[in-house]
This record gives sequence, C-alpha cells and structure tokens, in this order.
Amino acid sequence: MNESLRMVVVLAIIGMVSAGILSVVYGTTSVIIEENAARALESAVYEVLPGTASVEIIRRQANELRVDDPKEMREAEQETTLIYQGLDAQGNVLGYAFVGEANGYGGVIRLLVGVDEATDQILNVKVLSHSETPGLGDRIEGEGFRNRFVGKTVEDPITIGQDIDNLSGATVSATAATDAIRRGLSEALAAYRGGE
Amino acid sequence: MWKDFVRGLWADNPTFRLNIGLCPVLAVTVSALNGLSMGLATTLVLICSSALISLLKNLIPAKVRIPAFIIVIATFVTIVDLVMHAYLPDLHSVLGLFIPLIVVNCIVLGRAEAFAAKHSVLRSAVDGIGMGLGFTWALTLLGAIRELLGSGSLFGMALLPEGATTLGIMSLPPGAFITLGLLMAMMNMITARQKKTAS
Amino acid sequence: MSLFTILLSALLVNNFVLVRFLGICPFMGVSKDVDSAIGMGLATTFVMVVAAAATWLIQWFILEPLGLPFLQTLSFILVIASMVQLVEMFLHKTSPGLYRAMGIFLPLITTNCAILGFAIMGVQNSYSFIETVIFGLGAGLGFTLALMLMAGIREEMQFADIPKPLRGVGIAFIVAGLLSLAFGGFAGLV
Repeated sequence: MNESLRMVVVLAIIGMVSAGILSVVYGTTSVIIEENAARALESAVYEVLPGTASVEIIRRQANELRVDDPKEMREAEQETTLIYQGLDAQGNVLGYAFVGEANGYGGVIRLLVGVDEATDQILNVKVLSHSETPGLGDRIEGEGFRNRFVGKTVEDPITIGQDIDNLSGATVSATAATDAIRRGLSEALAAYRGGE
Repeated sequence: MWKDFVRGLWADNPTFRLNIGLCPVLAVTVSALNGLSMGLATTLVLICSSALISLLKNLIPAKVRIPAFIIVIATFVTIVDLVMHAYLPDLHSVLGLFIPLIVVNCIVLGRAEAFAAKHSVLRSAVDGIGMGLGFTWALTLLGAIRELLGSGSLFGMALLPEGATTLGIMSLPPGAFITLGLLMAMMNMITARQKKTAS
Repeated sequence: MSLFTILLSALLVNNFVLVRFLGICPFMGVSKDVDSAIGMGLATTFVMVVAAAATWLIQWFILEPLGLPFLQTLSFILVIASMVQLVEMFLHKTSPGLYRAMGIFLPLITTNCAILGFAIMGVQNSYSFIETVIFGLGAGLGFTLALMLMAGIREEMQFADIPKPLRGVGIAFIVAGLLSLAFGGFAGLV
C-alpha cells in the first residue's frame, strides 16, 4: 500500500474508533453527571430556603432565541430561567431560589439565591462554584459578605458602593457576585411572577 | 520485568529524578487525598495507553506516530474524565482542569515514545504501573506534607489540636514550590549517601 | 469584565506559571539563560494567540452545535499540535532568522500544558472571540515574564555557593516559590 495513504488510513481508523468509544462513554456518563448536578443544586435549595421540605422546579423561557451566533444561542439556551420553588411539609410555598452567574476574576461565579415568597426579600445566598483567588476573592463565600444581601429586594440598588459594602482587595469578585445577584433577582422575579 | 516495575519507583522516578510532569504535582497537592487520586488517575491512563500503544506499535507508521499516540492518550484521558465526573463528582471538581491536562503530561507521552513503542505489551504495562506509582507516591507525599502543615490534617482527619497555628502559606502556590524544592534536595542527599556506602 | 482586566489577570494576578502551575516543565527546563527564555516565551505566546482563535472557532462552531463536547480534549490537543507544526513550517519558509531563534522550542510547545489549559479555561469562562485572544495574549506574556525573571535569577545564581543537594532543580523550585510569593502581592490589584 502507498505509504502516505497508509498513514491517513491508520490515523482515520484510530480517530474513528476513539470517537466511537467516547460517544458511548459520554452517552452513559452524561446522564449521571446531569443527575448529580441537579441533585447538588436541589440540596443547595434546602440551605437557602430554611424550612423547605420539598423542591419543585419551574422552567421559564427568559429571552427569545437568537440563532445567528452559535455562542449566543448557547447563552440564550442557558437563559431558560430555572426557578426552584421551596415548599414546606404542608405544601405551602415558602419561597423560590434561582442561580445567578457572572464572570469574576478567575472564572465564572455561580450563586444560588433564596427569596421569600411573601415579601420578595432575599433570605440567603450560597456560592455554588467559583475560581477566585484564595484568601482574597474567595471571601465572597464568607457569611460576612453573603449576609450583606439578606433582606434586599428588587427595589434596592444592590450595587457595590451604594447599599453593598465592598470587599477590600477583592473588588472584581465582589462586584461580579453582586451583579449576578442583582441581574438574577430581576430576571427571576419577572419570570416567576410574570408566568402566574 | 521486576526491573521495569521498580525503575519508576525510585531510580527513574518521574517527579524527583526525571523532573517531568510537574504541573499536577504542584497544583493538586493541597491535600494528601487529592495527590493520591490524581496519581491514580494518571497511573490508569499510563497503563492503558502504554499497553495499547505497544499493541499497535507495528501498525502505526513511524511518521504519524506522535499524533496517533496523542489520540490514544486523549481518548483514555477523556474516559477517565467522564467516569470521574459521573461517579466521583466532588473529586472531579477539585482536580478540575488537571484531569484533561493528563493528555499533555510529559510522563504519558514520554513513556509511550521511549518505552511502549519498543517493548512488549506486558512489559509496557508493567513499566506504566511502576512509573504511575512512582508519580503517585511523590504526589501523595507532597500532598501529605502540605496538608499537615497547611491545614493541620492528614487525609481529611484533623491531627493537630483545635486552634493550633497552621502555616497557611503551605496551601498556597509558594508552599508547593518550596516544599517540592526541599523534597528534591532530600532525595539528592539520600541518593548521595547510598552511593557513598556502596563505594 | 473588561479586556484590560482579563489581560492583567492572566498576566500578573493569576500568572499561569507561578499561580496556576501551568507550563512548569518548560519553566524549569528552558530558564537557564535569559536569551532562550525570551525565545521560548515569545514562541509560546505566538502559538497561544493562534491556538486561542482556532480553539474558539472549533468549540463554538463545531463541538457545541454538533453536541460533541466530549471530543474537546482530543480535538484541542490535535489542533494545538498541528498549529505548532504549521507555525514551524511557516517560520521555516518566511523568516529563517526567527526560525533559527525559535525553532528548537517549537516542538516542546505541544506538550506545554499551559496552552491546552488556557484553551479549556477560555471555554469554561465562555469568553467571546476577542476576550479569548486577549486571554491567550495575557497568558503567553505572563509565561514569558515568569520565564525571564527565573532565567535572570538563575544566571546570577551560577556564582552562588549553594549547598550540594539543593543544586539544580531544588534551588530553582525554592526561587520559584519566592517569586510566587512576590506575585501573591498582585492579588489585590484590579
């Protein structure tokens, strides 16, 4: 066989076998991965909505899909706002929780925010994941910072320097977390109340 | 065969002797458990890819050797990545980026090129086990030292009394560099002493 | 996040070598003199910027629309390897001088985990095209900076009386630790 042809054939076969194996593995594992992520998020809902006995997931489409740019399309898909409703043992709605996201210093910061059903005030904030600088940016996880949001509603500015105190040395992380909460709160409120 | 196994553990230890594959050694060794898991994940990829490459060595034309090796290695790495993500999600989120980066760990490609492409399947697999375990104990040792000094625990169990002063710097990047530097010096001292007694 | 913050973050605060531990092998291997450090650094930066553009296109125009995210590692490393080959051939043809200066470093760049690492990070942060390129530039220049600093110190160290077991890689790691400590000072910088 021609040598260069052989090279191409061998590489193509290896590549195809590899892609085949990977798609099978991906098919089996992706289900479990998604289940795990959903379960982790659900258990976080119990933390931000004290007294919750069961969680219900509500799906709301936030924006029209823009199909011209694949990246924007993915973002738009993610904008399908998932709202987690927390119910107590009797089935009364205690409040709702949403995920807020923003780019911080080292990467994406994801937070879960719990809001009271009756007053629309923020009850609790939990940082789900981040990659901020240890010792500085990661203080957004601390209770001292998270508690600055408790009691805020969509009427409040929720802006660093106005009603939220800055974290010295971690301005970008603190601003990103605050932006995620402010944007997420107005979107979640609109989606949650608007759909009723 | 025994020689193939022990070489990676000490004489040609990838971390302390060959000084290759150092990124994960520094990055994930905040705790002993992280070090151990990263080491075992790399070992698994190393054994599988070495064995498979040795099996395929006569089929792959020499000119496209490296890309073919890379595809094989990347496939195993992705499998390990996905399986860990599914069954060990907590560990996966800690090791994060460094799982896919096993692809460019010089140990894996280096052993494929230097050993597996020239030896039998069995010997290549044994070499992979030796090298992998050599890498694993280096990571675990570094992780244990940093965890003990940095957060006062070992494999997650608190060893120091509550309120004892820990060296926070050991958990941060500078601690990784300095500890590894001192460990390398210690290895050099031990080797020098062994040589002296031998002669 | 502004482009400037991305650049500064990749360059200093989250320096790829000293804070994120990516690209340690070339950092230790090619930091014995300043000239080769600069050569290696710039060659890496160049490949990073090119790879930034290529991997962004692959991720958002091939892998995502076709639902093949699990081929990310495989396709990125192959693209980076072929990029390095192309850059090598291109330099060989167009600029022999530059090729002689950078040539020996190019094959080493494929296995530099800083490049694959930064490509995956760029996707995780869902950066736009421009942001990804700037991120690559910052990461590459940060790598160059760390390499140059290290090479400068190691050149001076040749004349120092270092305890025997520490000589070579041992002392280099301790120096890197001190450099990393110094870079920790950038942490509050925004």
